[in-house]
Amino acid sequence: MRVLGFILVLIYGIVLIQTSDGQRSRKEPGQTSLNEKVQQLLDMSGKRALMRFNGNKFRDFIKATPRNYSMVVMFTALAPQRQCSICRHAHDEFQILATSFRYAHMSSSRLFFAMIDFDEGSDIFQMMRLNTAPVFIHFPAKGKPKAADTLDIQRVGFSADAIGKWISERTDVAIRIFRPPNYSGTMACILLLVLVATFLYVRRNNLDFLYNKTGWALMASVFCFAMVSGQMWNHIRTPPFVHKTPSGGVAYIHGSSQGQFVLETYIIFFLNAAVSLGMILITEGAARRGDVKKRRIVVIVGLALFVVFFSSILSIFRGKAHGYPYSFLFK
Amino acid sequence: MGMGAFGDPRPKRSLNAEKQGLFSNASGWKSLITFTVLALAWISGFASRLFAVIRFESIIHEFDPWFNYRSTAYMVQHGFYNFLNWFDERAWYPLGRIVGGTVYPGLMITSGSIHYILHSLNIPVNIRDICVFLAPVFSGLTSISTYFLTKEIWSPGAGLFAACFIAIVPGYISRSVAGSYDNEGIAIFALQITYFLWVRSVKTGSIFWASLTALSYFYMVSAWGGYVFIINLIPLHVFALLLMGRYSSRLFTSYTTFYILGLIMSMQIPFVGFQPIRTSEHMAASGVFALMMAISFLKYVQTILTKAEMRYFYMIAVLGAGGVVFLAVVLLTYAGVIAPWSGRFYSLWDTGYAKIHIPIIASVSEHQPTTWFSFFFDLHILVTTFPVGLWYCIKNINDERVFIVLYAVSAVYFAGVMVRLMLTLTPVVCVLSGIAFSHLLGLYLKEEETMSTPDSDSETDDGSNEKSSRNLYDKAGKLRRMRHEQIKESDGLGSNVRGLIVMAMLMMLMMFAVHCTWVTGNAYSSPSIVLASYGQDGTRQILDDFREAYYWLSQNTHNDARVMSWWDYGYQIAGMANRTTLVDNNTWNNSHIALVGKAMSSNESEAYKIMTSLDVDYVLVIFGGVIGYSGDDINKFLWMVRIAEGEHPKDIRESDYFTERGEFRVDSEGTPTLLNCLMYKLSYYRFGELRMDYRSTPGFDRTRNVVIGNKNFDLTYLEEAYTTEHWLVRIYRVKKPDEFNRPRIPLSDRKIKRSKIFISKKTNKRKKGSIKNKPTVVKGKKPTKTA
Repeated sequence: MRVLGFILVLIYGIVLIQTSDGQRSRKEPGQTSLNEKVQQLLDMSGKRALMRFNGNKFRDFIKATPRNYSMVVMFTALAPQRQCSICRHAHDEFQILATSFRYAHMSSSRLFFAMIDFDEGSDIFQMMRLNTAPVFIHFPAKGKPKAADTLDIQRVGFSADAIGKWISERTDVAIRIFRPPNYSGTMACILLLVLVATFLYVRRNNLDFLYNKTGWALMASVFCFAMVSGQMWNHIRTPPFVHKTPSGGVAYIHGSSQGQFVLETYIIFFLNAAVSLGMILITEGAARRGDVKKRRIVVIVGLALFVVFFSSILSIFRGKAHGYPYSFLFK
Repeated sequence: MGMGAFGDPRPKRSLNAEKQGLFSNASGWKSLITFTVLALAWISGFASRLFAVIRFESIIHEFDPWFNYRSTAYMVQHGFYNFLNWFDERAWYPLGRIVGGTVYPGLMITSGSIHYILHSLNIPVNIRDICVFLAPVFSGLTSISTYFLTKEIWSPGAGLFAACFIAIVPGYISRSVAGSYDNEGIAIFALQITYFLWVRSVKTGSIFWASLTALSYFYMVSAWGGYVFIINLIPLHVFALLLMGRYSSRLFTSYTTFYILGLIMSMQIPFVGFQPIRTSEHMAASGVFALMMAISFLKYVQTILTKAEMRYFYMIAVLGAGGVVFLAVVLLTYAGVIAPWSGRFYSLWDTGYAKIHIPIIASVSEHQPTTWFSFFFDLHILVTTFPVGLWYCIKNINDERVFIVLYAVSAVYFAGVMVRLMLTLTPVVCVLSGIAFSHLLGLYLKEEETMSTPDSDSETDDGSNEKSSRNLYDKAGKLRRMRHEQIKESDGLGSNVRGLIVMAMLMMLMMFAVHCTWVTGNAYSSPSIVLASYGQDGTRQILDDFREAYYWLSQNTHNDARVMSWWDYGYQIAGMANRTTLVDNNTWNNSHIALVGKAMSSNESEAYKIMTSLDVDYVLVIFGGVIGYSGDDINKFLWMVRIAEGEHPKDIRESDYFTERGEFRVDSEGTPTLLNCLMYKLSYYRFGELRMDYRSTPGFDRTRNVVIGNKNFDLTYLEEAYTTEHWLVRIYRVKKPDEFNRPRIPLSDRKIKRSKIFISKKTNKRKKGSIKNKPTVVKGKKPTKTA
């Protein structure tokens, strides 16, 4: 009798648990099961490798707990009025990455890519306490994102390769990136050639401008000034235009000899060109024949350009090379 | 050397136009002045390169020169043919290196033959001294060849300016101070003399000069990989001349002669081999050769066709031939007959390429792009004056000036991409600045009557230029008198203005000279294997740790010991300690370097596996934390990690070495991976116990200005073998497997059992010992022999 009673209690208990379970699932009809969720995600990502989420979808697919897939989400602000230019680049790179992943693993449900635009889910931005864009966060299959699950854009950048490497570190999914072949460079080259060719063809009866030595000399000099003022360094290293100091001031000249700002190189370009111009004026003043007064003025202007601007280059140089002892006119 | 050649017939031409003044025999004076200026340029160039020798001693500098010195010494000892067949088993253990086939032998042959000549004259000079002083001596030859080149292009006066500039300009001194025994030291001479001979042969159109060009090109190929610059620039010059419609039979003769001879001769260098016909870098030359042939054929056809037909036919044919050649090269490249651009060259065009794909190229500081600061630092005022020279060269263009313009534009591009190629820019900057200054001062120092001569076209003003330059020669010594003379004359510009201009120019040139000396003395004259530090009272302290460590290695280790270090120190270990190294500065095998990098960046037990598989006996690290030396291995460490990650992405991850905030820190906030990797442990072993003075905390790293994070640790698999006086070099011995972690086997499990009680096997009888044949000694008697 006692045994029977115990069994009854047990059965009752089981029934109770089952019914309560059933009640709970009935209580939240929006909550879909894991399999359905994965299927939905696969469908969505089959259409579009980089899924566009809003607040509700974010809660359903990312915040809701039973998950067996990783999610890499880009928080961004693509609307033109937000004026986020790097968001556009980041989006392109992320798109390439997502497409290459989908292309290689058609039916993989381990990893999904999503993006949330600030204008479609600003509540999510508040929830995640984000106030910058773009931000890349990896939501692992188990547990909450750790600090390392946010991509350090400052350090590694947001090129598809860098994001791919970061993802492979976080999820052990290696992604081989297929870039759509970039014909823009080739096209630009061909276009330029065609333009030049048509120009030459149109003006075939008057090709004297090709023999204009001043034009050629100007082009060669400008190229030399560009190179000598470190534009190639700017191209490779992409330094900031100017440096804004924390105290609110603006530094135009990089303090050390190892670096430079873009504006600084423009200043140097101008100074170099002015010195050369000064020297040319001095020479021309003596070489030309004609009004002596005019020539004398030309020579004096040339000398002033030459001396003053060279001294200013020297003083900038002196500021960067610590311990350089020489200066001229200016300290 | 070649000084007798100054009695050039050209100056005599201007004799008639010369004012008969103080100098009754102008050409004699001219030669004397030229000779004197060039000799002084040579001497001052030589002297300003001796800072390092005077401050320190006559030693070989840096890294690569040690290899060059070692192979030169090998060649002098074993002979040339043995050198060509030399297989060096002391490098790249266990792979070894075929030295004879992987070096440009020009440098070794040059100093070897100087050594041979001096010794056959019974002048006993050590080969080391020849190696140390080779580059300064060649700098004098460079300035002479620059003089000749500039003289061909503009005027002898400009030539003297250019020669003086290149003698002291820091951009060239940086690679040619005494002790920096490297290819560049002789290569710039070869470059300039080749260009001079080329310009000469284009001017004369003689096979003699073209063959000489090919010969000096051969010397250049044997000396430096930069010969590729020549074999692309000369075809570019020819191509530009063809486009400008300046084809001539002179050009045809000189280019075809040069190309054929140069091609055949360059293939005689074992290291170059068949590259000239199989790689893309050399294809421009053969393309232009084909074009040249096509055009000369057209010229022949022209004699048959009418003029009107010919003009269009000509243009179309030229463009068509160019396109066909280009397409052929592209197709052959795709078909695999021609190797595509090698990484180092490719990175010159696609500037982002090296950064992504080849960390070993990107890691070398010489391969970085150039800031404006470096340009100004190396060239000073020449940076602003060479565009002036360029301007006047284009304004007064002729065949040879096309060459210098192309040289300037291409070299300035390459120098912008890579700091190292500043070296190829420097000569052309000197040439063009020489032209600018000579042109300017020529106008201002000229006497009044000659002012009225027209100064328009380059071809006609040769005479007046020479005349003006004649006045230039004596500007240094006799300028004051010249100005006084001019005061009494009535002048277009007025003597005050002239005086002002001349004074300003001289002031600038003086500043240039002062700058050059300062830069040479302060930046480019450190041997880098001997360091100097200056105390507050100006006393100098020499830190000779590198040689101390290498000497210890050579004296205290086994002759075949294998030393593992980062590749920077490979040549030095081989050269000074004469021990086997795993990797060295000839970075031909990236995966081997990555293996060493992996060992350095993994933890001790992982590293031990790699080290035993590579038979490493000693590990050498450079540590600057005690004296604040910034070029140590911890600062280079991230490159080791990057290179290792490139080959072993599963085991090494760069992000493991950064903190959460993306910083590279060695203090207590550094990542555990970093604080336990081999490089960290070897650098900081027992550093936590070191207290440099009373105020500082123990374990304070002066280079990175932090207290290190992991202080008390022991090494299991290695033991400290030697640490130099200032801790700059630390050497560790790798333990053998039986020396560490030796488990203690309990007595009962041992195969050979030993009890502590000693049991003698002797019987009672035999217990007492005796000496056989012991002589019986009786006091007072001589010992008698028994038996």
